[in-house]
Amino acid sequence: MSDIRIEKLRKEYGQTVAVNDVTITFPSGSVTCLLGPSGCGKTTLLRMIAGLEDVTSGEIYFGDQKVTDLAPSKRNIGMVFQYPVVYRGITVYENIELPLLQEKLSDQERRKRVMDVVETLGLQSSINKDITKLDNGTRQKVAVARTVARQPQIILFDEPITNVDVASKDQLKQALKDLTRMLKQTIVYVTHDQTEAMTLADQIALMKDGVVVQRDAPRSLYNQPNDVFGGWFLGNPGMNFFDLSAKTNGHGTEIQTGLFSRPLMIEGLEKDSNIKLGIRPEQVKVSGKKNDRMVQGTILRKSIVVGGQYLVTIKSCDQTFKAKVEPETGYALKDEVWFEIPLKDIIIFGPDGHRLDVKTSLA
Amino acid sequence: MHKGFKTTLYHIILWIVALIFFAPVFWIILSAFKTKDQILSIPPKWFFTPTLANFVDLFTRPNVGTYIRNSLLISAIAVLIALVVSFLAAYAFSRFKLKSTSLIMFFLLSIRMVPAAASVIPVFLMYVALGWKDTYPGMTLFYAMFSIPFSVWILKGFVDGVSERFDETGLVNGGSRLHVLFDVVLPQVRPGLVAAFIFNMVFVWNEYMFNYIIGGKTTTTVPVALVTWMLNQGGVDWTFMASLTVVFMIPPILAVYFFQKYLLIGMTFGTVRGEI
Repeated sequence: MSDIRIEKLRKEYGQTVAVNDVTITFPSGSVTCLLGPSGCGKTTLLRMIAGLEDVTSGEIYFGDQKVTDLAPSKRNIGMVFQYPVVYRGITVYENIELPLLQEKLSDQERRKRVMDVVETLGLQSSINKDITKLDNGTRQKVAVARTVARQPQIILFDEPITNVDVASKDQLKQALKDLTRMLKQTIVYVTHDQTEAMTLADQIALMKDGVVVQRDAPRSLYNQPNDVFGGWFLGNPGMNFFDLSAKTNGHGTEIQTGLFSRPLMIEGLEKDSNIKLGIRPEQVKVSGKKNDRMVQGTILRKSIVVGGQYLVTIKSCDQTFKAKVEPETGYALKDEVWFEIPLKDIIIFGPDGHRLDVKTSLA
Repeated sequence: MHKGFKTTLYHIILWIVALIFFAPVFWIILSAFKTKDQILSIPPKWFFTPTLANFVDLFTRPNVGTYIRNSLLISAIAVLIALVVSFLAAYAFSRFKLKSTSLIMFFLLSIRMVPAAASVIPVFLMYVALGWKDTYPGMTLFYAMFSIPFSVWILKGFVDGVSERFDETGLVNGGSRLHVLFDVVLPQVRPGLVAAFIFNMVFVWNEYMFNYIIGGKTTTTVPVALVTWMLNQGGVDWTFMASLTVVFMIPPILAVYFFQKYLLIGMTFGTVRGEI
């Protein structure tokens, strides 16, 4: 096993910069998800690691070995693509066995390797079936099995669940989770689906416009986004953002806003700056009863989100934001409610969109 | 017009056209089993006692076996060479996307647009100069060269239909480019190979002019033998012509009968295939 070190890796297509001087290390024996919206460069980065794309500049190392110019077949990697790549006309077993035929293995060892992954991925009932008779989810499992059976030092996944039907998606996701936990290989997994990333990853590298904007454990990334993009991209829906102006007076730097019961004091902020205050919808406390930390608002919209919670849009003063509430609260449109934005959960971003290390309190 | 009537009318017209096209073939098949007098009788004899004497006579003539063997060997070897070269070329055109691919593909196909009469003299002079006239390698290479453009066109369509993800999977799984080419892509374009083989085999099998000009006594194929012998007794030798024509028709008919599925796929250039 070895880690993957990327140093100032760059890929240009004409005038377009797909990957912009990325430096990152994917630790040995862990699952790192490259997460980001379509076109952010995550697949290009993965393909450069695989050797399927030439790099414009920068270096790639597997452990101490420089592999930047090495052919894909010499890198000892395995890759699973978005579309299930299976070979027609042969059985599931033969599909999994095919790459092993090129390796110097005894018949017994080859069979053992195939049967081990077949069992891990629950493919026993399909083993002698013609591949064309299987659904996309099972085909993708076969593609995964074929890759894993080779036991490469690094496995790359390029959105392997995206083209699988909804019914098979959860099953495949669970199978991949079990597999990644069992393998303990260096795995890089590209996805645009944050749920998938949160489920599978030991750490997530969040990408935007060809740059890795943050790399952290899933929970840290979610709770402490480094910039506005992380707050917006993660979560369903993403963070609420409020554009506010901080003024410095004799008592310190404070923000006059109707979002809190009293003015918000910020310690560690430059004088008279514009900031963005971020809070996740599920962290906003909504109640029908008032207490001294709460502010009044009106429910504008209401919809059901996954998990049976209601997503409500609340208007207070001139601000509109979203909050998640339990169904039993029974709020209706135009209901007057009381809400609190807990100070421990808010994140302050500077004018450039980056998170600021400041302390907050109420005056 | 009533739909049923229209369909019936449509089928009647199709049958008439098919029969008009099939009539000469039918006549030659009947003639192969008639005596010379029966063939030339007016009005034509529709009811007669079939005879195999024409076929017995055919195979007792000198060199007929050689002509049939020449046709089989030259066309099969030429087309096989063409398929190997064309598959490699089609893969290269499909995967290594040069800016000039479309132009090269056009030039390649334009070889087939040149009338045979326009190229036969230069080819003759070249073959005489190289000492290739009336040699097996010379004839085989010529027909291979003539079969390559169309084969590349057919096979490129098929290779395009095989997603590049297959190649990439093969490469990242430790396979070489040759492994990808022959173990991954080739099995998936097999219908295209069969279609290209049959299309070109039929073309080379039927070719007359080049074999007549750059061939000779050693490499004579059936079409040339047919024309040369048909008239060499001061008149048309109808029994010989009919029986040799029937024997000559058997291989292409069998090939088309058994592989018609691949021919239909081949005519669509593999474009009906999906992404994966």
